[in-house]
Amino acid sequence: MIVDCHTHWGTMWTERYGEDPATWLATLDRYGLTHALVFGLDNMVRLDLCQADNNRLARLADKGAGRLIPFGTAWPQMGNAGVEEARRCVEDLGMRGLKFHPWLQGFSTADPTFGAICGLAGELKVPVTLHDGTPCYSLPEQMAGLARRFPKTQFVLSHSGLLWNWRSALEAARRPNIWLCLCGPHMRASEELCARADPGRLLWGSDFGFSFADPIGYRLAAFQESRIDDRLKEQILGVNPLRLLEAR
Amino acid sequence: MIIDGYCVLGVDREYDLTAQALLPAMDAAGVDRAVIAPVDRWLAVDNRRGNDYVLQAAAAHPGRFIPACSANPWYGEAGVDEFRRALSEGARLLVLHPMVQGYLANDELVWPLLEAAREARVPVYIHTGPPGSSSPWQITDLAERYPAVDFIMGHSGSTDFWNDVNDATLAAENIYLESSLARPFAFVPRLDVVGAHRGIMGSFAPNSDFGFEWRQIRQAVPADLFSQVCGGNLRRLLEKRGAL
Repeated sequence: MIVDCHTHWGTMWTERYGEDPATWLATLDRYGLTHALVFGLDNMVRLDLCQADNNRLARLADKGAGRLIPFGTAWPQMGNAGVEEARRCVEDLGMRGLKFHPWLQGFSTADPTFGAICGLAGELKVPVTLHDGTPCYSLPEQMAGLARRFPKTQFVLSHSGLLWNWRSALEAARRPNIWLCLCGPHMRASEELCARADPGRLLWGSDFGFSFADPIGYRLAAFQESRIDDRLKEQILGVNPLRLLEAR
Repeated sequence: MIIDGYCVLGVDREYDLTAQALLPAMDAAGVDRAVIAPVDRWLAVDNRRGNDYVLQAAAAHPGRFIPACSANPWYGEAGVDEFRRALSEGARLLVLHPMVQGYLANDELVWPLLEAAREARVPVYIHTGPPGSSSPWQITDLAERYPAVDFIMGHSGSTDFWNDVNDATLAAENIYLESSLARPFAFVPRLDVVGAHRGIMGSFAPNSDFGFEWRQIRQAVPADLFSQVCGGNLRRLLEKRGAL
């Protein structure tokens, strides 16, 4: 089992393929990926498309033979309706987690409504994944702040600090409810993160689906060729993702 | 001539690349020469030590390495003196790393060094990317102010300034894009927009694995552009100062 813990069903995919995930899944097949956590894109760039895209992700997952594990989103700017949309994603649509992109969606991690959503995620036992590595709303230390405020919620740093903030991501991962997704750091940083962070809270992802570009080949090969113990690689690709999701 | 546009030579923190390791990797990858720059610590402080390290490595292996030197702009006149000393001993590029060295890329603090680079006819490699001390449009500011200086946008703003890179590059003719950390699947399509004459392959070894990056770029760059992007463009800039 290999789980890509960072993918998108991007706008381009809807425009070309409607709601047929066959081509998207065929790309995963090419690299032997069995499952993917799939996030939207429309739902993170346009508030008015949020519900519709969440619904689309759920329908895509139904067509994906269990291989697509959908994560929905909500907008704190919607106030209580945003909190209820997060609840709907989990309780009605059966989503296994929530994904937020504070930079794209334009909210601070200090937003009180976002805090309510993070608390709800803890109650519902679903992880919250966050874009990270980008100021001024998506820094690893801001995510660590959330982890301090909501110790019952599991937070995933979707990029482990990207290229330049990986040391901050490593600091953030001192919190026991912070997970790091190796989707962005260069090879040497990934090796350092694997050597120094809790091996049980490391994931791997490609960011596939944001556009038609195919980042899986490069990122999976970079991970496979890195100086990381083979058993840890297997754990990161197949065991840890299940542990992330098993609470619910 | 196939050239790697940016490697970091030295051993410090996560860096662990020596000349003895790099040379066989170059041979295996079919790379004739590699730009070598000092590790972060020596970009930030004690520039002379770092510059001497890469200069000595280049001197010990004639025809294989292209030494890139640095001076922290905060050293002021002393920094310019160190830059000119390194040039006199064979350095062929100036490296600036605003995040590591502690300023904004378009801060007037860097102007004396850029003036010295203009006089010496050497390109300036500037690391770019988040968190924000070195963004593509900051490089455009510098390129406009110093139109006779060639600026290499290290890492092409990767990753989260990716939206800005094309427009910022097209705004000045003297900006070139270096590929490391930008990943081939994103870097190569960008050349269709900004022009292949602006593309420069760099591995950023050892942060990225040298052999891995060269295998990836060979697969991604069209054959008719390979020699240009993987050596020719950088050579054209470097030889403004004289033959390599």
